[in-house]
Order: sequence, then C-alpha cells, then structure tokens
Amino acid sequence: MLEATLNLKLLEQCSKCGACFSICPSCMHIPGYDPRAVIRDILDGNHDKWLSSRHIWQCLECHYCLEMCYQHYGFENAMTALRTIAAKKGIHPTQVKRGWEMFVKTSRLGEPALPARKKLGLPEPKASGADEFKKLFALLKAAREKHENPEGKGSE
Amino acid sequence: MKEFAVFWGCTIQTRFPFIEKSTRIVLESFKLPYRDIDGFTCCPERSLVNNIDHGAFVVTAARNVALVDELDYDLVSPCTGCVSNLATVKGELKANPREKAEVNKLLKEVGREFKGTAKLQHLVPFFHDTVGVNAIKQKIKKDFSGMRIGIHYGCHMVRPSHALRNDDPLEPKKFDTLISALGAQSLQFMTKMMCCGQGLDRIDEHDRALHFARIKLKELKSLGCDALVLCCPSCFLQFDNNQFLMEKEGEKFGIPVIYFTELLGLAMGYKPEELGLDLHRVDCTPFVKKWESLSARPPKEDAIDDGLNAPGDI
Ligand code: SF4
Ligand code: SF4
Repeated sequence: MLEATLNLKLLEQCSKCGACFSICPSCMHIPGYDPRAVIRDILDGNHDKWLSSRHIWQCLECHYCLEMCYQHYGFENAMTALRTIAAKKGIHPTQVKRGWEMFVKTSRLGEPALPARKKLGLPEPKASGADEFKKLFALLKAAREKHENPEGKGSE
Repeated sequence: MKEFAVFWGCTIQTRFPFIEKSTRIVLESFKLPYRDIDGFTCCPERSLVNNIDHGAFVVTAARNVALVDELDYDLVSPCTGCVSNLATVKGELKANPREKAEVNKLLKEVGREFKGTAKLQHLVPFFHDTVGVNAIKQKIKKDFSGMRIGIHYGCHMVRPSHALRNDDPLEPKKFDTLISALGAQSLQFMTKMMCCGQGLDRIDEHDRALHFARIKLKELKSLGCDALVLCCPSCFLQFDNNQFLMEKEGEKFGIPVIYFTELLGLAMGYKPEELGLDLHRVDCTPFVKKWESLSARPPKEDAIDDGLNAPGDI
C-alpha cells in the first residue's frame, strides 16, 4: 500500500540519454558519483551491488535532474528506490536511522527550544499532532498487513 | 487576502527560533492575516522519511495539508523543504485519485480529509506575489543601496516545479526582484544556483558537506560579497554553522549569512538584535557596519548638486 515503484521503461530511455549528468551537483562535485552506472546495473538486474554504496545516499534530492529530464523522470527516482531497498535491509547511514526513529516516535525531528523562545518573547508553541500521527501510522501499518495478507492469516 | 497558517517546521523551532522571531516581526508589521494552528507534525522531511517509507511520507504530509484545508486557510512557510515536501504530496495525490482515496480512507479514521484546496507557498514567492514589491517599498525606512548581496535560493524553493509552480525552476527571478526592491545589488555568480549540500551532513559525510559550502563561499568572497541571503533553515545551517566550523579551523570566509526576513526587517527599521542577528554563528557586524557607513554619507544627488553648484574659476 502506497509504495513507490520504479519505471524500468523510462530508465531504459535514461540509459541512452544522460542529459542531466551535466547539471547534477553531486555528479559535478563528488568523485565517482554517477547515476548512469547505477541505472545500467538496474537494467542489467544487478542493482544489489549498489545497496551498500555511499553513492546512493549522496543524491541531494535537489530535483535538478527531474527538471532537466524530457521524460520528467530523473536520476533521483532510481536513487530513491535503491535507498529504500537499502533501508529495508538496514544498511542506511546512522543519522538517517536516528532521524527516522525520532520521527516515528515523536512525529517531529526535534522539539521547540523553549528557553530560547522565552528569551526571544515568542508565544507558546502550538500543540503538536503527535498522538493523531501515531494513530495514523498504526493504521497505515495495519492496512498494509491486510493488503499483503487479505485472508487475515498471521498476526493482527 | 486569505488567512493563512504558518508552517514553521521542525528545524526553525528546534534550532533557530530567532528565524521565527524575525518572520513574526515582518508578518505583524505588514498586518498580514497569519495564524498559528494546532496539530502540525514534521512536514515530513524527505530524505529521512521518504527514503525509508514512501507511504508514511505521503500520509503525514496529507494530514498536515488536511488541517489547513479544514479551516479554509492557505499555508505559508519560511522553510523551503517543508513547502516542497507538502506540495510534492499534494501534487501526487491530486494526480492519483486512487491513491488519494486510499489516503483519505486512513485519514477518515482520525477524523480528517485531504482535499488539497489550500494554497501552499514559501515565504519568498509569497512576499513577491501576494504582498507585492510596491507594498514592500512603501515600508522601507533605509534601503541597501551600495550593498552587494549573493542570493541562495535553496533548491526546494522552486523545485520540483510541477508541484510548486512559483518561479522558473532553473533560473528563478523572484528572490532577486525582492532583493533589488530593497535597493541592494543581487550578484550574478557561477555557483548561484548550486545546491547548498547540507544533505551530506545528514548522511554522516560532514567533510563533504563542508566542501560544498566552501565552493560557494569562496566564490562569494572573491566577488566582495557583503552577505549571503537565503530563506531556508537547512541552507542556513549549512552556510552559518558550517562556515563557522571552518573558521574555527582557520579557514575564514567572513560572509555573514542573513535570513530574508532579517534583511527585510532591517530595511524596515528594526534593530539587528531585535531580529536575532546577534544569535548567528558567523558575525554579522561587518555587514551592519558597512551598511551604516554607506547610509551616513550624503545622498549621491546632493553630492553632485553640491559639485555643480560649487564656486569655481570659470
Ligand atoms: S536529485 Fe540527485 S541525482 Fe538528481 S540532480 Fe540532484 S543530486 Fe543529482
Ligand atoms: S533522468 Fe531524464 S534527463 Fe536524466 S538521463 Fe534519464 S532521461 Fe535523461
């Protein structure tokens, strides 16, 4: 439910194009960063070899490739897909893990800095939606389980 | 003007409350119908959430938008990432009725509905389009003539353009227009549209994040830039904090990093300390001092007139 998927037909065109390479900041400034090689491997069925690579996390999600792309697709879709697979296997950077855990637990990536707010004369921060978010997240997980296991076998 | 909720986002409220301060100051003094509302969560942040779980990314953003839809407000945020993420999901759901129905089925169980009616805007395009350059000019007490400013748009102010639709995604103009309206010169430079690179700090690659910051700061220094002006807490973190860390290691650029609302507030006559400029890591006093010394000079017109009317030998 609500999973992102990769369009291999579009990536096939991608492998013959490469137009966005010259505008991608990571291609320009990070030695060895080259989504074209990644896409070739995905098309050859060898995406596995990138899962533990730093490079898939070095995509800055700046959306330059998306804007350049005549298919309106973009390198970043391939990189995002590989990052998601890597994360499912637990091989993602520590800070990403930490960020995700905090998000799931608190619905935010940090709490308002109260003493500093007071000093600056800022009003009390508004109530967060943490409780409702937690309910919603649980509902999403339950809906997925039902989707994967429609007979109601197994847990829940 | 339609009422709008301000979406502060996690980073500003956690790390940079002074940005909230200057934003409130300018919203107040333009008498804009802004509201604080209960119930927001993280937008959510794309790299930390969407990479792990696209579904969680979508329902969380949809819920935040639903809160605003319900009240029949629009939404404005001083964070580029927040607006971009919320707008991305809004666009995705508007384009996929089936996905929208799935999301709304979940939202219904917590008493919400995503309609996608609220307009979602970043503060800079909002000031450009909705407040307008003329209204801004009328509020200026002291402009920035003679000051050389480098703008950093921040990728997510304008991209992805199919979702944001607020400016040219590769050569945006609106921020430049606002800076010129404040009388400053907006420098045109090679790395103007380069991504700040703060994302690299989020994947444990601090040195590379510094490398990205360095590229832009070096160019700005060589151009004699008086300040880097931006409007995104993530970019602010990258250029203020990380520049400071490099300074501590002996690599000095000396480029003050100023938030758009701070610059606007200064022009409107607020004091640097009221706006929180003293809370930055990189010292902003060189900028303020130069600005004060420029405006202490008599207006150019007077100097020329004096020259023309001066007694002489002819
Ligand atoms: S989104 Fe990623 S792949 Fe695309 S241009 Fe930016 S850094 Fe490169
Ligand atoms: S993402 Fe688009 S522009 Fe880039 S190589 Fe693929 S088809 Fe070409």
